[in-house]
Amino acid sequence: MGRRFRGIVSHLTPRAGAPGQTPAVALNQAAWDNAAMKKQRLRFTLNGHAESAEVAPRDRLLDALRVNLGLTGAKEGCGTGDCGSCTVLVDGKAVNSCMMLALQAEGREVLTIEGLGKPGDLHPVQQALAECGGIQCGFCTPGMALSLKGLLDRNPHPEEADIRVAISSNLCRCTGYGKIIDAAKAVIEGTAARANGGGAVGTRMTRVDAAEKVTGRALYAEDIQLPRMLYGALVRSPHAHGQIRAIDASAALSLPGVKAVVTGGDLEMGYFGYELQDQRVFALDKARFRGDPIAAVAAETPDLAREAASLVKVEWQTLPAVFDPEEALAADAPLVHEDAAAYKLDWETERGGNLCYRIQLEDGDVEKGFAEAERIVEGTYHTPVAHAGAIEPHSATAMVEASGRIAIWTSTQKPFGLRAYLAQALKRPVSDFKIVPTHIGGGFGGKLFPCLEPYAALLAERCGRPVQMTLTRDEEMASPLLRHPSKVAFKTGVKKDGTLTAQQIRILFNTGAYGAYGPNTAALASLMATGPYRCPNVALTGSVIYTNTVPNGSIRCPSGPQMAFAVETHLDKVARAVGMDSLAFRLKNAWEDGATTCTGQQLDSVSVKECLQRVADSVEWDKPRPAGVGKGLACNWWVSGTWGTSTLIETNEDGTFRLISGGVDMGTGAMTTSVLQMAAAGLGVPPVSMQIARGDTDTLPWDHGHGGSRMTFTVARSAYEAGQDLRRQLLEEGARHLGAPAAALTLDGDQVFLRDDPSRAVSLAKICHDRHKKHGGPLIGVSSLLDEDPPTPKAHPIPGISAPSFCAHAVELAADADTGEVALRRYAAAHDVGKAVNPTGCEGQIEGGVAMGLGLALMEELREADGKVLNPSFADYLLLTAEDMPPMETILVEQPATAGPVGAKGVGEPPIAPPTGAVANALADALNVDVSRLPLTPEEVSKLVEEREA
Amino acid sequence: MINDFEFAQPRAVPEALKLLAETERSLPLAGGTNVLVNMKRAPLETELVVDLSRLEELQGIAVDNGKIRLGAAVTFAQLLEWRAGGAAVEGLFAPMCAAFAGPLIRNLATLGGNLCDASAAADASPPLLALDAMVELDSAADGPRALPLPEFFQGVRKTARRPGELMTGIAFPRPHDQERRYYYKLGKRKADAISIVSVAMTLRLEQGKVERARIALGAVAPVAMRAVEAESVLQGEPLSDGAIATAATVAAKEARPIDDFRAGGAYRRRMVETLVKRGLNEMREVP
Repeated sequence: MGRRFRGIVSHLTPRAGAPGQTPAVALNQAAWDNAAMKKQRLRFTLNGHAESAEVAPRDRLLDALRVNLGLTGAKEGCGTGDCGSCTVLVDGKAVNSCMMLALQAEGREVLTIEGLGKPGDLHPVQQALAECGGIQCGFCTPGMALSLKGLLDRNPHPEEADIRVAISSNLCRCTGYGKIIDAAKAVIEGTAARANGGGAVGTRMTRVDAAEKVTGRALYAEDIQLPRMLYGALVRSPHAHGQIRAIDASAALSLPGVKAVVTGGDLEMGYFGYELQDQRVFALDKARFRGDPIAAVAAETPDLAREAASLVKVEWQTLPAVFDPEEALAADAPLVHEDAAAYKLDWETERGGNLCYRIQLEDGDVEKGFAEAERIVEGTYHTPVAHAGAIEPHSATAMVEASGRIAIWTSTQKPFGLRAYLAQALKRPVSDFKIVPTHIGGGFGGKLFPCLEPYAALLAERCGRPVQMTLTRDEEMASPLLRHPSKVAFKTGVKKDGTLTAQQIRILFNTGAYGAYGPNTAALASLMATGPYRCPNVALTGSVIYTNTVPNGSIRCPSGPQMAFAVETHLDKVARAVGMDSLAFRLKNAWEDGATTCTGQQLDSVSVKECLQRVADSVEWDKPRPAGVGKGLACNWWVSGTWGTSTLIETNEDGTFRLISGGVDMGTGAMTTSVLQMAAAGLGVPPVSMQIARGDTDTLPWDHGHGGSRMTFTVARSAYEAGQDLRRQLLEEGARHLGAPAAALTLDGDQVFLRDDPSRAVSLAKICHDRHKKHGGPLIGVSSLLDEDPPTPKAHPIPGISAPSFCAHAVELAADADTGEVALRRYAAAHDVGKAVNPTGCEGQIEGGVAMGLGLALMEELREADGKVLNPSFADYLLLTAEDMPPMETILVEQPATAGPVGAKGVGEPPIAPPTGAVANALADALNVDVSRLPLTPEEVSKLVEEREA
Repeated sequence: MINDFEFAQPRAVPEALKLLAETERSLPLAGGTNVLVNMKRAPLETELVVDLSRLEELQGIAVDNGKIRLGAAVTFAQLLEWRAGGAAVEGLFAPMCAAFAGPLIRNLATLGGNLCDASAAADASPPLLALDAMVELDSAADGPRALPLPEFFQGVRKTARRPGELMTGIAFPRPHDQERRYYYKLGKRKADAISIVSVAMTLRLEQGKVERARIALGAVAPVAMRAVEAESVLQGEPLSDGAIATAATVAAKEARPIDDFRAGGAYRRRMVETLVKRGLNEMREVP
């Protein structure tokens, strides 16, 4: 240390030694001093202008852009070159800015998204991405846009295959890539791909946040920068199960720049959770999984915080651990929780030991059903742990406000829910917290639960300075909440003509160390377990089991892909057993109007058969397949989520409106298109005259959160009602202005007028100006909505399903029997959305959902050994790339729901469920194998072929 | 320690060699796509990063006297576009480069970096092994030297590169255009996949008999390897079904794959047999 380099580096400052201090401190003292001192000047061309910045040698180009220069359009999704969200052009070439040291850019020309175009002056690529629906959460969008720009500069007329290759390093978890490819084609052909229908209900609408997202200006959680901000990191358990004997933070605290270490012993903690409250923010007595938070550290830089976290010494007594859910049920298994039955749980259940929750359902008489059967078919199906896979990792920034309340900027799907969880966990009133939702870089259920918020809040309080915490990708992949792994066993009775007589179903979900959304997932699974098929006799058990693994939660369509894999794969097996074609078998058994579920709910607006027929036609089901090629079908049904919400629409003095809702947009576009469209439709004005208010849990009305496929079904309905309420008031105002009864008036566009004599009109601008400035005050339309689920004859924690949606998928694939490789050839998905409020948005949900479902079918799997996640990266936890996604046909079926003004049904979650079953069935068709396990990697497929041979 | 290193950006190789010799803890940085991944996960154990991006001598490709020399800092994107190597070379490099990572990484990552990282799954290794490539190293202390690629690889992420030494290039005899070649990378997805098994082969037939065969395998041993016994099974023999089957079986026996979360060893071994057999059959069918 302290040596001076000659030659080219001789101008650099020598390192300062720190004699007399302990070695660890001395090293870090040097690091800390040098972080400020050792900077070098970087000169380069940035977005067409000469730029310079003082950077440290270790700073990456991404750091220089985001931190030194404040250009936060380039995102850090992984930091290891695996996701492409940090893409910039360097000398015209698209590269990962996380893979270059900043100083390597000396003298280079760098183009970031901020230099590509501005709102109002978008680059054609940006314009097309916005108009074609190529943007959802927007986190990958800047990188995607720059990769496309790099391609088109090099090759103005690429083929579709070239486009797919060019964006194959840019992972998108939302769109399924189809609309991004459409956008590229629109640029090449010089067309606006999809006419923007202006936003009337049923027409295509460009999301209102498209411009800010496509220009990189949209602020996500990690883009928040506050003065004097510190950074936090977590100390996590290295053991799957261990008693905490003592915690010594002195070494960490003695590092210069380290500001605080907080542990569970420093505060009063409450238990928090959804229907089950079984966890605390810090492990206090013992850690129950590898990664269980033990302490949180705040320091001047992220690196220093991590360094300090590694120096917090925890004295452990390791305990025997259990990882397998079936082993966990053994009498002598180690207990994850000493007294699980003591936790508060809203639902009645059998539980205790490592059994977290159990649901049982009986419909009809299965013994009788099996006695009537002519064939009995059994099968057991397994799915692995999976990750929600949002490209944006969790990040939260907390600050104590002057009032003493804590403001938290965070990427959350559920701001009000988060406030409530924090209140439970920290034993404080909800009013102590103000949640400021930022743009969400993908949620998919992974951002429904507290993650970093409690720690950032505690550290901010302790330090009296704002604290930001962000998970590294490695941490993110091994952190709660993940998708439940499942084991589902079916025993099915069937007659030779294909009539189902009995289904006995045993479902096992490993919930990991804490229950989180486990009971809810099992309850949903129990409803989905029959699929949308008739069966008079059903007996079902669903068990949720604690183990010493990373906790699992409510990831997009919780239980859906697992159950669709089991149900649909098994039904094909049943169909084969009676010699029936999969399509004919499904058409014979599929629900129709009036069908009853296993809880006795009678259904209407059932569209399974139409969906099935449409996708079967799309893939030419009846056409013979060449050897090695297979086709598969799968159906599903799902909820349209309810839960409470409220909406305000207030007039502006110029005759425009503010839509004020607590609903957040996790990227789907539900808030930024369909909720807005429905509000405008309720009022009778075009969406363009309405602006969505942005706020926080202090200023926005309460909403349950973005999840459960409820935005267009419930939040948009509330928005419509608020629009109607305000419309009534405006008509009454019009009546006063026009001297005519309100009943004779109508409101359309920007005025109120006599229905029979449109020339007698008063503008909304006039009405609003008078209300705001002369008499009465601003007008406000209000809706408060809690649509209860329909009751069912059989008791169930989830009463009936509101406005169930139905879908069917079909896939054609080619399988290589020798290597096990699978190539998807084409895909079709038909979804009954009731009414497509914004068809572009519905298609986007379906295509993105299919991509995610195909990932679960073919490659997504978190591998664990002794509770340790072995592949916590986007290099080894694989999401589909643009090259993997097959060409697909997206079919919107519209059988209106009876509820709601336009009959819209939820579409956010269901598309991800059927791909697992459809792919398994197509593979079975192609290779004549029995599929029982996901994902269908080449190795797994090769094993199936070997089993067939044996 | 938090990545407390200095940074130098030499403009010529001698200057780079001098800098690399300044300290045993110097680190040459080419595309950065391995180094920065490592730096994200743990501090770099280096005092001085020597950036090679301005060394034009390392970025060229030269064809002369029947020899092809690739600069060590040639990127995968550059090699993917390169067309002057002849059909045999292109038939290995084009599919290998197209299967290497994704387009963003291909614009940064270099051949030299890929070899020096010495991952068992390094994509550049099998084709270069099949082409009998030599790596060229240079240092201020010892001057230039060249090593056959199999000698360069010494173990899991271990190479013969000495501290202070720089890989400057990779050279191999230009094969005849009629030389047959086969490349296949088996991964879990179409783009940006880590190799489970990769196979690169070249084959020269003279009057129906194998004059020279090279079978190179990736991701099935601690380092990329040549299946020399399988090669010798073929040497001098007609490319019969029996010879192909035997060579494939022998190659699978030579492989030393491990079980890891990416794939099981038994599967990798079977895939060696499958792909070698498939490749030899394909090469036999070439008119």
